[in-house]
Amino acid sequence: MKIVLDSVTHARPSWSLAAKGTFTPGIHLVSGDVGSGKSTLALLMAGLLTPDRGTVIREGIDKAMLSFQFPEFHVTGLSVADECRSWNLEPEPVLASAGIMASPERPAHSLSRGELKRLHLACLLSREYDLLLLDEPFSSLDCPGKEWAARQIGRRTAGITVVFTHEQSTFPHIDHIWEIREGNLADCGGMPGALRAWERAPAIVKRLVAEEKIPADLTQESIVEAACRTQE
Amino acid sequence: MQDARIRLLSACLLSAAAFISISGAAAAFIWWLVFTHRLRCIRHRMAVLAAVALFCLVSFVIVLSGGDGLSYLVRMTAILLIGTWLYADSVPGEFPALGTWLLGPKTGFELGMIAGMAMQVADGIGKDFDRLRMAYAQKQVPWGIRVLLPAGRLLLYDALRRADETTELLAVRGYRNGGTCCPRFRTPFCDILAGTCAVFVLIVAFVPVSEFFIHYR
Repeated sequence: MKIVLDSVTHARPSWSLAAKGTFTPGIHLVSGDVGSGKSTLALLMAGLLTPDRGTVIREGIDKAMLSFQFPEFHVTGLSVADECRSWNLEPEPVLASAGIMASPERPAHSLSRGELKRLHLACLLSREYDLLLLDEPFSSLDCPGKEWAARQIGRRTAGITVVFTHEQSTFPHIDHIWEIREGNLADCGGMPGALRAWERAPAIVKRLVAEEKIPADLTQESIVEAACRTQE
Repeated sequence: MQDARIRLLSACLLSAAAFISISGAAAAFIWWLVFTHRLRCIRHRMAVLAAVALFCLVSFVIVLSGGDGLSYLVRMTAILLIGTWLYADSVPGEFPALGTWLLGPKTGFELGMIAGMAMQVADGIGKDFDRLRMAYAQKQVPWGIRVLLPAGRLLLYDALRRADETTELLAVRGYRNGGTCCPRFRTPFCDILAGTCAVFVLIVAFVPVSEFFIHYR
């Protein structure tokens, strides 16, 4: 199972994106500044946008899903219960998992954006996909919400998961890091070696790398473990 | 067409002509072919096709009940084409200017603003519709009759919610009534020509063309 970006390019009048690489099973992080082209790359990989040049090759992928940055883009049910059922899920366990106290009969759009994002992620991550593309899964969430989302994403053990985010503080377990630099997708490599090649890494990660205290992962536990590590 | 005044007037005249008679509808269609970008001015082709399909259904029912269904279909399609042209050529912010020019800074501005907001809602519904289709596709729910009703409810709910948010925004910004606007319009010669032709189209709608040909024979 893999998804190959074969010299893919996509251009707009004042901006362009070029991507080349192979995504294999595991959790991938695609990092980049706001406006760098992460969402465009997600659309290209999801097949919702056609590249100007090159091809996106999917091998062994039957079931794919793109989670948009804005959770309201996914809503097809009028009430919270309808929305859960539109994912073939029962509302009660989903609401309990997402920590939402709202009545299932409440209109889905009357939830706050953070609640709607948690509801969406809870529904999405209750199902299995060969390819799961998550565009800014931490946006609109508070710190506990981000930690909850990171734990949920990190539990995925099968398939290819790609997290597109500019987040700098909360991450799930990551296997591979990619970075969009000036319109080009750069392969930083597998963890933990990728941390050395990650140019726009969070300040704490950069400092730990400079001190040769390389974290094994990007989870908070790994960062704390590395920060507390005593140099021998 | 750049002048919003001539555009609105032409749309009213052409719609009236198309509604009055089949000869008016034919003349309005010819006007549409000559003075617009034709199919390029249709922003939401699927919505237009759906509307035409609905007209076909209604005209079929009219034929079954002994009425002139074909006339209904031709006239309504002509009105639809004029409407799509008016919608495609409109520029954000021109309705308050048009309203103010027509009815002054209080009533005119408010009516223009309402018209502008209505256009925004129409645009928003179009975008919501596209997103909704994508959301159903992502959930692997086939798009069809079964999902039309819940999708329609959701679109309506979203439109009302957006209207509510706009009202709150206006209230927060201290809007009470009326407004100041200094409308300026560019009137190129082709706009005057198109407007004049629209008047002739309305005249054609009143001419009993079939009787004229009978007398001629």
